[in-house]
Amino acid sequence: MARSVWKGPFVDAYVLKKAEAARESGRNEVIKIWSRRSTILPQFVGLTFGVYNGQKHIPVNVSEDMIGQKFGEYSPTRTYYGHAADKKAKRK
Amino acid sequence: MTKSAVEDLVCVGTVAGAFGVRGEVRLKSYCANPEDIELYSPLLTEDGSQSFPVVLTRSIKNGFAARLGGVETKDDADTLRGVSLFAPRDRLPALPEDEFYYSDLIGLEVLDTGGTSLGRVKDVQNHGAGDLLELQVPGQSATVLMPFTRAVVPTVDLEAGRLIADPPEGLF
Repeated sequence: MARSVWKGPFVDAYVLKKAEAARESGRNEVIKIWSRRSTILPQFVGLTFGVYNGQKHIPVNVSEDMIGQKFGEYSPTRTYYGHAADKKAKRK
Repeated sequence: MTKSAVEDLVCVGTVAGAFGVRGEVRLKSYCANPEDIELYSPLLTEDGSQSFPVVLTRSIKNGFAARLGGVETKDDADTLRGVSLFAPRDRLPALPEDEFYYSDLIGLEVLDTGGTSLGRVKDVQNHGAGDLLELQVPGQSATVLMPFTRAVVPTVDLEAGRLIADPPEGLF
C-alpha cells in the first residue's frame, strides 16, 4: 500500500543532519549511513553517501533522477560477479 | 598464437551444450548486448588454439542457438560443452573519451595524487548510481568501492596501467 502523500517522504533524522553538515562543510567526503529505508530528497543531489549493505558502505553519488527512491535500492546486499566481456564504464 | 595475443583475449561467452541434433550449440553470451557476440566472430578458445566463426540462428531460453564453424554434428557440439569463447581485445570497437571497457580497467594499479599505491582494480560494478571500482587493497582481505567519476579518478592511463585517484574522505 502506498504511503499517504500528506505525511511527506520518510527520512531518518540523522541522515538529514549529516547531509546538512556535509553540505555546509563543503568537504569532499562520503556520508556513512545505515538507513536504507530513507527516501532520497532533492537536497541530497550532488552528495556521496556510503549506504550500508550489511557488510560495508557502498558509495552512492546522488543524482536528480534518484530523487524519491530509497537509498537501499542502490546498495545491493548480494554480490554477483559476472563476466566483464564488452561491458563499458563511463566516467561522469 | 603468441603469448601476448592470448593475454589480450576477452571472454564473451560459453558453449552451454548441444542444441538439437544437427550440430547447433547453446551459446551463453556475456556481452552487454547479448547479440553482439556474433560481431566478434570468429571466437577463440582460451588457449587460442581453435577458432570458430559464429552465426546465431535463434534466441532460446538463457541464450542463443548458434552454428559454430567446423561443428557439424551433435557429437561435435557435445564435446564443446563448457568451453569458454574469447574475442581478441582489438576486435572490440573503440570507445569515446571517458568510456572504458571493464576488461581494460580490471587489473590497473590505483595510485593516490601523492603516488602512494591504493591497490588494484579487482572488478567494476554498477548498482544504478554510477560505476564503482572495487579495489583490492594490499594487506587487506576486504575490498573498497570507489566511485568512477572525474572528480575521484581524474587520470586513467591505460598504457602505463594505472589510475590516479583522489578518493573522498572516509572511503578507506
